[in-house]
Amino acid sequence: MKISGFKYLANQGIENIWKNKMMAFATFCVLLISLLLVGGSALFYYNMNSMILGLGNQNEIAVYLNPSTETLRVQQIQAQLENMDNISSVEYISKEEAYNRMQNQIQQGKAIFDYIDSYEFMPDGFKVTVVSNDLIEDTTAQIGSIEEVQSASSSPQVAEFLRELRRVVSIIAIAVIIALSAVSMIMISNTTKASVFARREEIQIMKYVGATNAFIRTPFFVEGMVTGFFAGAGAFFITWAVYRAIFRILMDQGTLVRAFGVGSIIPFDKIQLWVALAYLIVGSLVGALGSVISTRRHIDV
Amino acid sequence: MVELQNVSVTYSSGVDALNNVSLKINDGDFAFVVGSSGAGKSTMIKLLLKEIDATSGVVTVNGYNLGKLKKRKIPEFRRTLGFVFQDFRLIPSMTVYENIAFVLRVIDAPLKYIRKRVPYVISLVGLHSKTNSYPDELSGGEKQRVAIARALVNDPQLIIADEPTGNIDPELSYEIVELLKGINDQGTTILMVTHEHDLVRHFGGRIINITGGEIVFDEVISGVDEVLPEEELAQAMAEASSVSNTGNIILPDQRIMTPNGEYADADRNGGAE
Repeated sequence: MKISGFKYLANQGIENIWKNKMMAFATFCVLLISLLLVGGSALFYYNMNSMILGLGNQNEIAVYLNPSTETLRVQQIQAQLENMDNISSVEYISKEEAYNRMQNQIQQGKAIFDYIDSYEFMPDGFKVTVVSNDLIEDTTAQIGSIEEVQSASSSPQVAEFLRELRRVVSIIAIAVIIALSAVSMIMISNTTKASVFARREEIQIMKYVGATNAFIRTPFFVEGMVTGFFAGAGAFFITWAVYRAIFRILMDQGTLVRAFGVGSIIPFDKIQLWVALAYLIVGSLVGALGSVISTRRHIDV
Repeated sequence: MVELQNVSVTYSSGVDALNNVSLKINDGDFAFVVGSSGAGKSTMIKLLLKEIDATSGVVTVNGYNLGKLKKRKIPEFRRTLGFVFQDFRLIPSMTVYENIAFVLRVIDAPLKYIRKRVPYVISLVGLHSKTNSYPDELSGGEKQRVAIARALVNDPQLIIADEPTGNIDPELSYEIVELLKGINDQGTTILMVTHEHDLVRHFGGRIINITGGEIVFDEVISGVDEVLPEEELAQAMAEASSVSNTGNIILPDQRIMTPNGEYADADRNGGAE
């Protein structure tokens, strides 16, 4: 096919959108809704995953040293911890700070501190955050094996629970996305079929005058692709507006944000490029292929 | 050229649509194909367009052996044909110009040629003033002229016209056939399927009558309208060697007689009287 021929067919495809505007609009709407359903589910899953991971990051190992450990040794142990695998951060908690925290925590029996004149009996300690919760038990054992470490404790049950939660959420989310994709494909297929069916006679005429299948399909391909592209753009702007609104509402909830890992919701700015690309590419491809596949039934004359 | 050699078509339902049909239409011929509905005319057209394949026999159109023609070669073959449908089959969203130019687009013709050829063909069918009109702005006769222009624009060797006068006024039917006759005079082979015996009788030429899937009559007749006297009709009926499904009688001297008693002379040697 010559370039001028392709240009003609591409123009035909674009003109067809206008000429068959009602069917094109129906295809646009179905593609838009389908993209929003699948895209929205994918973003919901992505954020749930991030929130669970965020909750996991709050899982810490409490490390207490022997009270008699000297300051230099404390510093050495801190350096040693910082160099270990799977350690995200190490926060030093001095004897004095630990004493103050204890005073704050025991409000009712505060009088007992009148009999204590020094915090020297308190141990130095560290608040260690891990990179991966999955390895928290190993990391805890490794820290516990360091000399001068009186105790290293974590809550592996929390890690296990979060791991299980992620697994369940992933299965549900993937199932929902697959189901929505299937429903969307059926809707898109029916709409494009109806759109092509309305023009079956046109296709037959083309066949009778000796048009090749490629010649017949190219305008449908371009038409589907352009409609899909605009549906993708529409889906992106709706997602952008809704996502930002939800993000703002949740972030205004203050303490709730930390408590439920809402703080880990991904700001739209960080993912907008990928969301836009995904919508536009998937929209264009599904639109184009749906349209071309639907011509198959009418092309064999 | 069109040639059918011992062609039979049996549909999957078991219906024998064509039964051992042999036929040859030479380049430059004009032939009417007549027959009642269900006689096998449509099946023959489908065969010639390679829409269906023969169950047995050989179909050759414009040098293509259709039984051996590969699927991907069908577009190339169809470009050697022009086709005129009873219901016009114009693309409603395209103007007269676009409907005709479209055929040349299909064969990737240069734009310069399209711009020259399409107006020429439109003027041939006398629709110059309707160049930019849409099909729904045209009368039946005008639509059919556009369809003929579309069939003609590609300069095909053969034009197949399936009941081209079926959806238009009787007086316009004569114009359409005259237009096709004019195209035939330029050397294009025309195969016109019709059930309008008045037209056939008026224009004469080669008549192929298909009945019950068989060719029962294939002769060249003159285009003279005549009416037989009553007693001659009765005698002719008695002497008739064959009677077709349409009620036409083929007389022993090879003349055709309609049930009304009108007849036209037949000439087996190909010359009209």
